[in-house]
Amino acid sequence: MKSINSHSLLKFLLYITLFIILVPVLILILWTFASRWPWPKLLPEVYSFRSIKEVLSPHANAFSTLFSSIFLSLTVAVLSAIVGTMTARALVLYDFVGKRVIDLLSIAPILVPGTVFAMGIHIVFIKMSLSDTLLGVIIVHLIYTLPYSINIMKDLTDSIGKEMELQAYVLGASPLKSFRFITLPLLIPGLMSSISMAYIISFSQYFITLLIGGGNVKTFSVLMVPFIAKGDRTLSSAYGLIFIVSTLLIFVLIDRVFKGLSFKTRKEEI
Amino acid sequence: MNKRIITLFLTTFIVLILIVGCSNKDREMDANASSEAFNANRDFKEILKEAKGETVSFYGWGGDEDRNKWLNKTVAPILKKEYDITLDVVGMDIDDILAKLSGEKQAGLKKGSIDMIWINGENFYSAKENDLLFGPFLEQLPNFEKYIDNEDEEVNSDFGFSIDGYEAPYSKAQLVFINDSSVTKETPKNAKELMKYCKENKGKVTYAAPPDFTGSAFIRTLIYDIVGHEQFLDMKADKKIVKEKIEPALEYLRELNKYLWNEGKTFPATSGEVKNMFGDGELVMTMSYSPYSVATEIEKGVYKDTVRTFLFDKGTVGNTNYIAIAKNSSNKAAAIVAINEIISAKVQTTQFEELKELAVVSYDKLNDEEKKRFDSIKIGQGVLPQDELLSKRLPEMPANIVPIIEEIWIEEVVGK
Repeated sequence: MKSINSHSLLKFLLYITLFIILVPVLILILWTFASRWPWPKLLPEVYSFRSIKEVLSPHANAFSTLFSSIFLSLTVAVLSAIVGTMTARALVLYDFVGKRVIDLLSIAPILVPGTVFAMGIHIVFIKMSLSDTLLGVIIVHLIYTLPYSINIMKDLTDSIGKEMELQAYVLGASPLKSFRFITLPLLIPGLMSSISMAYIISFSQYFITLLIGGGNVKTFSVLMVPFIAKGDRTLSSAYGLIFIVSTLLIFVLIDRVFKGLSFKTRKEEI
Repeated sequence: MNKRIITLFLTTFIVLILIVGCSNKDREMDANASSEAFNANRDFKEILKEAKGETVSFYGWGGDEDRNKWLNKTVAPILKKEYDITLDVVGMDIDDILAKLSGEKQAGLKKGSIDMIWINGENFYSAKENDLLFGPFLEQLPNFEKYIDNEDEEVNSDFGFSIDGYEAPYSKAQLVFINDSSVTKETPKNAKELMKYCKENKGKVTYAAPPDFTGSAFIRTLIYDIVGHEQFLDMKADKKIVKEKIEPALEYLRELNKYLWNEGKTFPATSGEVKNMFGDGELVMTMSYSPYSVATEIEKGVYKDTVRTFLFDKGTVGNTNYIAIAKNSSNKAAAIVAINEIISAKVQTTQFEELKELAVVSYDKLNDEEKKRFDSIKIGQGVLPQDELLSKRLPEMPANIVPIIEEIWIEEVVGK
């Protein structure tokens, strides 16, 4: 009886959550096609295709920017997961000088206020000729995404431990093989959330991208934010909708890739 | 032990790379230092030749899709066709542009990516004071002589701060008031009538809190209406003096608070919010720095076609916005050629036609054909003719008084 009760409560909460997420998206869709929606009208008074025309017009470069932005953020996400996995492994499984300092420093970027950090890193990047370049933007996004990647991977690495790898060594597997067939499959759920998290953080960076990319590196957020700041609801909604849909598609893609990956590993194991 | 040695080695290696990387760059910067000495004061043909085939970047606020469109679809093709210059329009807030430039200056970068900058007022003042701009170049532009009235106060000074040829006029803005004739019949003609209007429509009028450009200009217009505008032109930028002079206006603003939205306890942060609230019917009045915005908004269906523009009898503040060139710009020749073209009658006319922004060219200097073309432009619904706007246009206060007034407003008006 009790379990059924908690089950229906859970369902209720799920519906509420769905409602809270879906209603704003629905309003976003309506605003994309509305040009005037005065209170207290339930539906927009005047509809137009202005935002669609604007987003699709070649001078706005919305879609080419979107694709290069996706490419940039995916690169950041994958690099972040790799560096995060390695750092987490080092921090959990090995002892070395300055381990605690690195552990602390790995979350420093989210502790320092964004603007302060941005101004400082900008000057450093100019000196290293990294400002106004794609590489510079990738590196600076990595600084923001790594705290998340490292911490996600740290907990997972900690729970897996290295006993199973040792077991594989005892049975004669090479380090590469034991990583490929034992550690990697176990790390996959963490890798997946680490990549998704890093992707969304990188994709939504505005100020730091603008400052380090200097306008040479154009991302979707850099294109979108001025319209939101101006308060143009129609255009903001259109851009916001593309932002959400493209991110959802990327998440599905990441999910598919990893599901395929873990399945393949299992098959090879047999 | 082995691992420690490897770690140590790696760390030293990385540090070394960083140091070497930096010093290499420093040398490169010194080598480029000579290219900074660009000479604008020579034959324009020579500059044209140097500009050919270059790409010039134009940094400015990116939130106006009509302006983006105009720059990309009208201005860029003209520059490409006539001078083989590629225009790269980059959307960036002026605060970020200045932050980027001062960062580059601090790091000693001689060849930056910013060429042209859309700028005016306080930002021009601080950019010029901090030596971030290139100039003078204005008087070297052939179209300056040909089309611009150099007697015009706004061509010589920007918010009371002498331009000295460091920026060229781009377009003219003026504060206008907007309301809907189907909602409220009256259009307040002065501060007194505005007070009455707010009393009648209690809680349905507000303005954006400064430092929002439009909200700040609205406060200055009210101050002008109450205490006059002449005294500010040469007023010392001293908080005590300014406060004393504007005291009657502060008194008025505090009184006005009672009848404003949320009783003046809070104000919207941006003029965009005020505009949206007006569009939603939450407010009966809004204001804009683009005198023809009503026409474009009616066209887009954002405003009803009963919405119209009005001014105070004594006038409203107007200012010009300008284009400057960054001191560390790597394409100064192309920037000069592009700016020269933008202040031509041809481009200014398309700006008036497509963006409904006031042109900076002097009407008297246009030839008959150009005049005819200019007169043929339909200004659209709900707006005022250009001569009425210009006859009720008041000069901006000196750039260094504006932030003082904004500060006093926060201390003395909001929530009082």
